Amino acid sequence: MAEVAYDSASRIYTGNPPVRAVDQLNLDVADGEFLVLVGPSGSGKSTALRMLAGLEDVDEGAIKIGGKDVTNVPPKGRDIAMVFQSYALYPHMTVAENMGFALKLRGTPKQEIKDKVAEAAKMLDLTKYLDRKPKALSGGQRQRVAMGRAIVREPSVFLMDEPLSNLDAKLRVETRANIAALQQRLGTTTIYVTHDQVEAMTMGHRVAVLKDGLLQQCASPRELYDRPANAFVAGFIGSPAMNLKTVPITAEGAQLDGLTVPLSRASLDKVGGLTEVTFGVRPESLKLAGADEQGMELTVELVEELGADAYVYGSVRIGGTPERFIVRVDGRTPPAFGQTVKVALRDAGEIHLFHPESGARLEA
Amino acid sequence: MRASIGRYWYAYAMVLPVVVVIAVLVLYPLVQGVYFTFTDINESTIANPVLDREASYEFVGLRNYLNVLSGDASFGAFWATLLRTVIWTGTCVVLTYGTGLGLALLLNRPMRLRGLYRVLLILPWAVPAFISAFAWKYMFNSQYGIINQLLGSLGLPQPVWLGQSDLALVAVIIVNVWLGVPFMMVALLGGLQSIPADLYEAAEVDGATPWQRFREVTLPGLRSVSSTVVLLGVIWTFNMFPVIYLVAGQNPNTRILVTYAFERFFSGASRDYAVASTYGVLILSVLLVFASFYRRALRRQGELV
Amino acid sequence: MTMTLQATAKPVVAAKRGQRSRAASFGLHAVLVVASVIAVFPVFWVLVTSFKPDERAIEPSPQLVNNSSLDNYVDVVSGAEGSFGYWFANSVLIALLTTVIAVFLSATTGYAVSRFRFPGSRPLLVSFLVVQMFPFAVLIVPLFNVLLALGLQGTSIGLVLVYCTTAVPFCTYMLKGYFDTIPTDIDESGRVDGLSPFGVFWRLVLPLARPGLAVTAFYAFLTAWGEVAFASAFLSAEDTSKTLAVGLQVFVQQNRVEWGHLAAASILVAIPAVIVFYLVQRFLVAGLAAGAVKG
Repeated sequence: MAEVAYDSASRIYTGNPPVRAVDQLNLDVADGEFLVLVGPSGSGKSTALRMLAGLEDVDEGAIKIGGKDVTNVPPKGRDIAMVFQSYALYPHMTVAENMGFALKLRGTPKQEIKDKVAEAAKMLDLTKYLDRKPKALSGGQRQRVAMGRAIVREPSVFLMDEPLSNLDAKLRVETRANIAALQQRLGTTTIYVTHDQVEAMTMGHRVAVLKDGLLQQCASPRELYDRPANAFVAGFIGSPAMNLKTVPITAEGAQLDGLTVPLSRASLDKVGGLTEVTFGVRPESLKLAGADEQGMELTVELVEELGADAYVYGSVRIGGTPERFIVRVDGRTPPAFGQTVKVALRDAGEIHLFHPESGARLEA
Repeated sequence: MRASIGRYWYAYAMVLPVVVVIAVLVLYPLVQGVYFTFTDINESTIANPVLDREASYEFVGLRNYLNVLSGDASFGAFWATLLRTVIWTGTCVVLTYGTGLGLALLLNRPMRLRGLYRVLLILPWAVPAFISAFAWKYMFNSQYGIINQLLGSLGLPQPVWLGQSDLALVAVIIVNVWLGVPFMMVALLGGLQSIPADLYEAAEVDGATPWQRFREVTLPGLRSVSSTVVLLGVIWTFNMFPVIYLVAGQNPNTRILVTYAFERFFSGASRDYAVASTYGVLILSVLLVFASFYRRALRRQGELV
Repeated sequence: MTMTLQATAKPVVAAKRGQRSRAASFGLHAVLVVASVIAVFPVFWVLVTSFKPDERAIEPSPQLVNNSSLDNYVDVVSGAEGSFGYWFANSVLIALLTTVIAVFLSATTGYAVSRFRFPGSRPLLVSFLVVQMFPFAVLIVPLFNVLLALGLQGTSIGLVLVYCTTAVPFCTYMLKGYFDTIPTDIDESGRVDGLSPFGVFWRLVLPLARPGLAVTAFYAFLTAWGEVAFASAFLSAEDTSKTLAVGLQVFVQQNRVEWGHLAAASILVAIPAVIVFYLVQRFLVAGLAAGAVKG
């Protein structure tokens, strides 16, 4: 058990110009916390994890585990266990040998290894497969062996690098829940890397969003969803993505075509002298409006029916150019393709304003 | 530099033994060999610890190179020998590669007895070269060789294979191709197996004929293996001394650069190390020029890093 | 719907996928049989000859069996024509030492080059290629001097080291290619599990590279087993310290070759090589391919 801290940690790849894969990362992870690192490919999330594992150099700053500076400690001295995307099971060892390997290297007595492996195998439903080679296992079983290998060691931190991305959709959802429950039970600090924002939102106590090596925001899933720190986080978290448009702004509010969204006093203060603002609204914060209500004219281009809900994709003309909007509507009465409908806000409070250039959140 | 030693010390530690061995047993002798080319070293001038004789060879500048490059017959008729070496190398590599590719393509199909065919076809590789050379020398013998008996029974002429004619060159090419095919075949077979099957399926769906599939999928898929084995094949064949020497002996019709270097080195009372080394340096230069052109040509095609 | 049904109901005229016509099948096997015969025949012919007395082996119309007996083998092994037992023991010792040392050296080097892009790794690989371009035999005099200076001249170890220098460059290339096919995740997993970089190499990578190691061992063994020029130059002239390849020259006199005895001795020399070959042959394709594909 231990807390983890990134202290202005950077990883710089030599080249011309040098690439800052992870740039001045500051992050504190509490003991027992489940922290998810999420971001698009190339955001530096895996690099950040590998820096913590000791598989990647820390070029600037420091990394601490349990209060101890491990910046220059090799992986074996960090008391961590890691689950790889490819699982990286040793093909020439049986499941039991794979799981007990780290203990064996530490010189743990044979009987103790055997007991611990048996216990972990029981927890993961692998008892039947202990004598098999990884080649003879299914994808899901291999994934569990990789988990088991980490658990057996009882490390102070678990590191997981996209451990679910090689599973099929159904198994992924199932395993997602199992990992979260397991972590809850073991109470071990866990850093989990994924590119899938659904995984991030459902599993993490807190989620850190990275882009181009820079930390964008680190907060609870709820906070991330309700109060994204910038336009990137707003667009990245949530599926389908938030509608983000740059629109003109006046004293009355944000000017969408046929719809003026009034802004609170505080918001208007923040906007200051800007004439434009990046306006964000989630699909579920929009609704179909009645004929007499104020609203944007949306021409339906595509309807995705999901059963309970339907997502309407359509275009709205803002300042003469068509802009794509997504609206969540009742699944039983969606509009038809080609139809023009009126769209309004469900609640004037459910909007997000960002600086049109920096993308920073404008509301208080 | 210090930082990189600190970071990669284990890599350097792992490479060090090889670097030491190669430096002591290849680079140093190589430098000394190059130095010999500027001297008149031979059996009578070299230091001889047994006879307790000091070295008495002298620096002669570029004389060896001038002698050799003049093409004079007493120095091995360099240009004619180079031409023969190029013909020998080209023919051997083309035939070895072609046969190896053909057999690899056949062996890559699912069929009965595949494993047996593969073992039998690789066998020539496993037999030590000097034994194969004896075997072929015996088979090529004009009086009691099985090859001429076979030709005779088919009503064909029974030539003197290993005599003073270009037939001797043909004979050693046959032997060298026989020796070289297994390596090519195995390497290309591996290359074929590394081509993903779905590429063939995609080509088939696109309506490609078997020939088109071979041209558009197989050959490009083999380009990387091919470029490596052809380069190695050229280097090895260019320097292939045992086969020619053991099968044909000191025959002017099969003389290539490396066998001539050997003749100078081993035969006669003089043991002309200086000229032999000069040939060695010239061989190295020819191959270096070839390799750099070869790599440039490959790079132009977008292969190789 | 009905259209698809009709289409599938149409009688199938074309051959099933992946099936060859009878003629194509015959042609395929015919070509392979002919090629196999050509590949095997010289060895077979040496075997046939090895049973014939020397004077029968040079009769103008060769036959399969002609006064054949095991006499040649008895002569060779009993040492009537030289110390065959010593030669054999020397060859085995030298070939095995070469194999072990060359495989070890090329494995460590190949691994370092495959995994760590350290400064100097590329020049190292290029120099390996260049080393093969120089006619090695021309180095005999300088090599002789070096071995003399190291006190290794005339010893087996000196010869083993010389063989290693010819085998290691190609073996390193081959093993580097093979190591490249082992995912680096395995190495990293090992590091996290508590192994040092050497531990990763020794306990994870080497066991996984068995096919590549087998091919390398085969190549190194053959390099040492059949070599003549260096062996005759660097081993002492005593009959008991010769290798097989050198000793067998006894059967090739200036104007006369004892073909029967030579053939019998050749077969005895070839047998260990063929056994080694048979042991590794199933790895050959995978092992060599990895090396050559990656180049």
